[in-house]
Amino acid sequence: MYSAEISRANPTSFVFLLDQSASMQDQIGSGEGRRKSDVVADALNRLLQELTIKCAKEEGVRDYFYVSVIGYGATVGPALGGSLAGRDLVALSEIATSPAKLETRSKKMPDGAGGLVDQEIKFPIWVNPVANGGTPMSNALTRAQSVVSGWLNDHPACFPPVVLNLTDGESTDGDPTNPAEALRQLASVDGPTLLFNLHVSSDAAPAISFPDSDVALPNQYARTLFNLSSTLPDHMRTYAQQQGCAVSDGTRGFVFNADMTSIVQFLDIGTRASDLR
Amino acid sequence: MLALTSTFLVPKRGSSLKEYEDASWVGPEINANGEVQQDTLRVAVADGASESLLAGHWARRLVRVFGTAKNATHAKRGFVAAYREAACGWDEEVSTYTAEREERGSPIQWYEEPGLAKGAYATIVAAEFSDSRQGQSPTWRAVGVGDSCIFQVRDESLYARFPIDDSAAFSYQPPLLASRGVEDAVLRRHIRLKANDWERGDSFYVTTDALAAWFLRIFESGGRPWEPLRDLDTRDADLSFEEWVDQQRDFGEMHDDDTTLVRIDMC
Repeated sequence: MYSAEISRANPTSFVFLLDQSASMQDQIGSGEGRRKSDVVADALNRLLQELTIKCAKEEGVRDYFYVSVIGYGATVGPALGGSLAGRDLVALSEIATSPAKLETRSKKMPDGAGGLVDQEIKFPIWVNPVANGGTPMSNALTRAQSVVSGWLNDHPACFPPVVLNLTDGESTDGDPTNPAEALRQLASVDGPTLLFNLHVSSDAAPAISFPDSDVALPNQYARTLFNLSSTLPDHMRTYAQQQGCAVSDGTRGFVFNADMTSIVQFLDIGTRASDLR
Repeated sequence: MLALTSTFLVPKRGSSLKEYEDASWVGPEINANGEVQQDTLRVAVADGASESLLAGHWARRLVRVFGTAKNATHAKRGFVAAYREAACGWDEEVSTYTAEREERGSPIQWYEEPGLAKGAYATIVAAEFSDSRQGQSPTWRAVGVGDSCIFQVRDESLYARFPIDDSAAFSYQPPLLASRGVEDAVLRRHIRLKANDWERGDSFYVTTDALAAWFLRIFESGGRPWEPLRDLDTRDADLSFEEWVDQQRDFGEMHDDDTTLVRIDMC
């Protein structure tokens, strides 16, 4: 399981569920003073940026992935902005060429002499922060089932689709356990769909990445999201370990108030570009 | 020395030959039939890393330098010198590429910038075959970083394998040569060296990782992986290289990756 090669001839899909409910106006508990809606929008834009750069080659981005972004708040539906608005599933090459906006941001980079220097980098924006309405997470998971089952119908031998839910976990349309379970049961011949969760919380608790138990999680929302999350397949667990996470057979695709951009690096599309050590 | 060489290649599924990022070199001179009649034969195969930009350019640059450098295969010092020669022209190659893109109205896009800044990556294996001297057996010397491989077959058995000897050792994270340079001490830790004899009738298979992993796996399970490769491009061949690789991919026996084989038959 989870050994199918991801290629243009055998692409897979990446579905993002983006919590856009009113509770996302609250600040994240890490003391940064940022609203949860800003954090998840930023996280999603960074994930799409990383995914695009990972698949970039000369003169284009290879369509190893097809991307769906479903927002849930006042409504449930496609959440990409700009010219991609209203689209359910978009080839990664189109994601690359159609950000709603291309911002320039400053980033600290090594100066080659042991210090850091500010460098301007381009930061594409596909989704803007939204915080409005309830949190119809169960409805969003059901919508994801529809996207994933359509994809699997056309790509039965693909690496299993990955669904990443970015949320504060405060579902207002019932217990999301059953729709999440139904989503995880949708499978290609290579294995069941992977459901991961990025939890942003107003609780001032330490960040947690890829835990193997819910014992240290600070609230019921976090524990629920942990239990909805798939265990990491072997090779992903190895990558998590390489990034410094303590892992076990029970390690799940879940982070609490932490960065999850690394998940993009858990996906194999060919030989990785890394320096000798 | 009389050697007959043949080079075979097939891109990853869904990729065109223009997108193929392996590279190979056989020299210094071969005739139209792939025959080499000199005292020395050099072969190099490189595999550009999928997750890097201009990986094919870098792989081609590496095999060109390692194929023409005189001492690249003799010691780590020779390898480092050849690598430095390849890497020192990289910035210029990127500048030329960037200018060419500008000229034809297709400038570098935001998603290409990080990859171009990071540089390209590739594995390499290079070998030099020498004729017998002063009554001694003819020899070959090889160097490698990463998982491109050489297999030597003699009398229907695998006589030597280099630098990987176990199919379980292949991964998506092999050691790679970076176009942006690396410290000598770090590089030296990853350079592998090999010296061995050869005889008339020996065959060598120089391959990139997908085929090398297949070769070792078949061998480890008691098979003779050289048999289908030996017959390629001969009257005994049922399939072309492309068809044969396609079949192995269909069977799930071989990774879907750019695949290169240089076959050398010592006559």
